[in-house]
Amino acid sequence: MLSCTCNSHTYRSTSRRSFSTMKEVGTDNASSLLTSESVGEAPVLRPVSVRAKCSSNVQSTPEIEKKYVHGVYDAIAPHFSSTRFAKWPKVSAFLNSLSPSSLILDAGCGNGKYLGLNPDCFFIGCDISAALINICADRGHEVLVADAVNLPYRTGYGDAAISIAVLHHLSTEDRRRKAVEELVRVVKKGGCILITVWAREQEDTSLVEKWTPLNQRYIAEWIGPGSPRVMLGVSFILIQKLVSGLDNAILVDRFYDKSNWCIILEKTS
Amino acid sequence: MRLLTHNMLSSNIKGVANGFPLKIEVEKVVQQEVDFNIDFLKNMFYKVEWKALAEASRTMGYAELPENADAAMLESDDFLHKFHHALLELHLEEGALVCPETGRKFPVTKGIPNMLLHEDEV
Repeated sequence: MLSCTCNSHTYRSTSRRSFSTMKEVGTDNASSLLTSESVGEAPVLRPVSVRAKCSSNVQSTPEIEKKYVHGVYDAIAPHFSSTRFAKWPKVSAFLNSLSPSSLILDAGCGNGKYLGLNPDCFFIGCDISAALINICADRGHEVLVADAVNLPYRTGYGDAAISIAVLHHLSTEDRRRKAVEELVRVVKKGGCILITVWAREQEDTSLVEKWTPLNQRYIAEWIGPGSPRVMLGVSFILIQKLVSGLDNAILVDRFYDKSNWCIILEKTS
Repeated sequence: MRLLTHNMLSSNIKGVANGFPLKIEVEKVVQQEVDFNIDFLKNMFYKVEWKALAEASRTMGYAELPENADAAMLESDDFLHKFHHALLELHLEEGALVCPETGRKFPVTKGIPNMLLHEDEV
């Protein structure tokens, strides 16, 4: 495992909560498996092939995302939120390793599960779903509605950033690359970024069998009853490609855990 | 929306050269106490664009911040408390953030800014 300067800061527990308006919600369940997008029971999987529409503008939201991701999340927000309380230990570990008093940006924060997780840090979350952001705000978090592909943030303001189970909702490689570039842009030099995505390489091979084989001209969708349609999981080769294309960040750690790829980047300039 | 967040936000409408800072239109401001954290304030001091913070604070009804600030002021408890109050305890509950170049308004509802762009702004 490569060493990361971010992890050299030890978590220091204090009895005083620095930001008392930030509440932690739900219970920790370290043993739970968090495969990205299962909602409640294992859904019935039915692969469907859809021709991807290409837009020349990477920041324009494709119709396929509006219909199959945004629309669904907005409709199921309260239910989705109620199933999303278990905190993934890898994300918790990353957040707790950050220096106290860090400003942490969560792009695609969903129901705000990780906001305020490290009580010594200040979190600002954004998500494209107003319904999910309303849930975050009700819990006292500092949040806004925004698009991870085009963050309305000044460059270099954050100390760290996270993108947890977000990139696989973006339907093209260009949009995913732009989202990664945005994460790097909004943190300071030396800042660290944790990105987790649902992996193309699945531990449960029965899931893989149900996917339509990847074809250059199509994006395969995974449909479960009432759950957002997730674009094809991100392969490790794609992760490598996304990261190697960055000229101002380096990969400091990567690991595969519970059907998700996780990478930690550090901004170099 | 706290002013700490406002100090980070920038209009990203296509064609805008400098979308920061957004002007604030106030309909409702709420004050909410937050624990005082010196280390966090010092961290934030080096991030914030001071003039934008002072102006935003005035717009929100709190005019106690000095026009200019330098690191030496961090030694002053009085300064730190004013900085803390402006940065963290003033909330824009209802209103709008206005792009300084296009005048386009981003609504703030129940303390939540909506910064999503329309199709033609991307």
